Amino acid sequence: MEYDLQFHYVKQAWPHLMEGLWVTLQLTFAANVIALTLGFGIALLVMSRHWFVRAPFALLIEFFRCTPVLVQVIWFFYCVPILFGVYLDPMPMGILALGLNLACFNAEAYRAAIQAVPREQMDAGVALGFSPVQRVVYIVFPHALRAALPVLITNGITLFQQSALVALVAIGDLMYMGKQVATETYRPIETFTTVALIYFAVSFPVARLAALVERRLDVARV
Amino acid sequence: MWRGFEGIMKIDFSFLSKYHEALLMGLGTTLHLTVICFGFALVLGFALALLRGSKIAPVAWAATLYVEFFRGTPVLVQLFWIFYCLPIFLGTELSNFTSAVVCLSLYGGAIMSESFRSGLKSIGREQYDAAHALGLGPWTRTIYVLLPQAVLRAVPVLLSNGVGLFKESALISAVGMAELMFIGSTISNRTARPVEVFTVIALIYFLVAFPLTRLVAVLERRILRRLAI
Amino acid sequence: MYDAKTQPLASLRNIHKAYGNLKVLSGIDLDMSPGERVVVIGPSGGGKSTLLRIMMGLEQITEGSIEFEGQPYITALNGKTRIDANVRKKMGMVFQHYTLFPHLSILNNLMLAAVKTRGMARAEARDKAMQLLARLGLEDKAGAYPSHLSGGQKQRVAIARALMLDPQLMLFDEVTSALDPELVAEVEQVMLELAEQRLPMMIVTHDMWFARNIASRVIFCAGGVVVEDGPPEQVLGDPLNPRTREFIQRVFHIHG
Ligand SMILES: Nc1ncnc2c1ncn2[C@@H]1O[C@H](COP(=O)(O)OP(=O)(O)O)[C@@H](O)[C@H]1O
Ligand SMILES: [Mg+2]
Repeated sequence: MEYDLQFHYVKQAWPHLMEGLWVTLQLTFAANVIALTLGFGIALLVMSRHWFVRAPFALLIEFFRCTPVLVQVIWFFYCVPILFGVYLDPMPMGILALGLNLACFNAEAYRAAIQAVPREQMDAGVALGFSPVQRVVYIVFPHALRAALPVLITNGITLFQQSALVALVAIGDLMYMGKQVATETYRPIETFTTVALIYFAVSFPVARLAALVERRLDVARV
Repeated sequence: MWRGFEGIMKIDFSFLSKYHEALLMGLGTTLHLTVICFGFALVLGFALALLRGSKIAPVAWAATLYVEFFRGTPVLVQLFWIFYCLPIFLGTELSNFTSAVVCLSLYGGAIMSESFRSGLKSIGREQYDAAHALGLGPWTRTIYVLLPQAVLRAVPVLLSNGVGLFKESALISAVGMAELMFIGSTISNRTARPVEVFTVIALIYFLVAFPLTRLVAVLERRILRRLAI
Repeated sequence: MYDAKTQPLASLRNIHKAYGNLKVLSGIDLDMSPGERVVVIGPSGGGKSTLLRIMMGLEQITEGSIEFEGQPYITALNGKTRIDANVRKKMGMVFQHYTLFPHLSILNNLMLAAVKTRGMARAEARDKAMQLLARLGLEDKAGAYPSHLSGGQKQRVAIARALMLDPQLMLFDEVTSALDPELVAEVEQVMLELAEQRLPMMIVTHDMWFARNIASRVIFCAGGVVVEDGPPEQVLGDPLNPRTREFIQRVFHIHG
């Protein structure tokens, strides 16, 4: 290979990349806030006793889980303004699309965790005279949150990585800045390697944290 | 001013019939790509899972680093890296298709090695005890007792990994390969009717992926029941 | 050469075992003669399973040695445990939790070790397996998978799988504890038949009635040592040691 690596271009562009990372982090954070709350609501709805409540949300979840995120994002960008006459800036639109996507994945995690709450726990709640709402608040929710936590964190990191595709709809995130720097400097190897390392540097520690939480919870369960 | 649901009134899917061949071709390319990458990723994932369990520390360590890196970075970044950088390293141009295959296979391998590993981990201590008590040596133990169970347990997850690859393959449109998503964007640009086009594109992805996820669920139940002891 | 008339089948000397700081066995001495059926009883966590697992060569020991048929089998030397693999082949073990291989049919569960570790021809192994299954009334299950069997059937298959290798000593670790009560008898029946054929066994069980029926000798283990050792009538009926007495009273109280 006759290519000599020159990282000083990347060094010059470092502030741009950091600007992009900041956008990526904002996007990830906002989408996670939406998804952690909305996801629990969707999980409860999809477990409703009434099929006409269950069905649309089950469909929503399956739709988000069975189509590419890219298609979802593009769909939101082009179709929401036309269909609903709502014109949002790219950033809120990106947050909305990614947040909804993540909410559906989180809803599945919550649902699985709620269903894994041992039957006897619920029976004990009934026997102790808790009301249905009290049972959800004091028994189901703590159990479910604990059980779902590792998956919720993992889903959150996955979204951090997938958020890179908003670069394709011109949101100035880390990936977008990376592409720009690569084009301007003609230094794709250095730039994309650096961009990859930045993504990795953020997601790896969080992934370790998720693994740690999972082990802790496993130990606590025994 | 908010113009309400005006847009909904104008929806008309009929023009898409003109493009059905192009869409089918795109789907064909997407499926072709997915199947090839699925095959490569299976082999790579299995090899990585074994290497990660290696007794030679640097080997295990390198395999782990590989897996963590591919799991810890966006597929889009990997794609751009392979697309723009690999040709410089190799000194030759790669076709779009080759780059796409390399990218999704490398990524898929990392993901699938995790699936194989958790299959191995899910085998209980009693199975090891029983194998020991019967005097089975390490080779027999691995080939006849542990591996088949690990692979069986991993089948549903591996299949969902395959569905994952199918979905991720939409990213390949970003480097201009004429798969389903790319063809959709092209039609949308030409006709200026993104609502209908992208809705149909989403539906096509859904119609392929959804039945597969159901199949995964069925397989999972079957296999778990079968391996229940 | 081993002489069954004068020499013990197995002799355990000063067996110590610790998991980290937790001392589980602290000096077990035991001579077992051929044709003896030793039932080990004792409180939960007292090290009964550990003792059997050591006999099977599944655990390291911290101190002590075991001879089998007059040959050295297991020795602890400077913190390392040496296990003679050839002697080990003479042990068979059945565990509390079903340990059939779930991905193999019943027939293949029986044949695997015989073919792979004893070099038996497949046809021969198949014949032997079918004979054993017939003896246990399971010949129609040969092609079935473990998940299709009841717990009692699974444990009978597990016994058959161990018998395939012609063990000189069978180790049974609470093999009926995980079973529904109505399935216990069919497994115990099989073990009683093996007892009639004078197969040497070490049995851990909480079922005192079964213990009385099958044992030629009962050992009460607690706190990592043998507290009482004698014929079943004595240990179960009129124990000498107060600790044994208390344990027996409690167990019979619960079961009675
Ligand atoms: N693999 C192990 N690691 C650490 N401690 C163990 C292990 N196996 C057993 N123990 C401990 O050793 C003690 C004896 O266990 P065990 O032999 O199973 O008793 P029993 O079969 O008499 O109930 C228990 O306190 C148990 O917790
Ligand atoms: Mg025990």
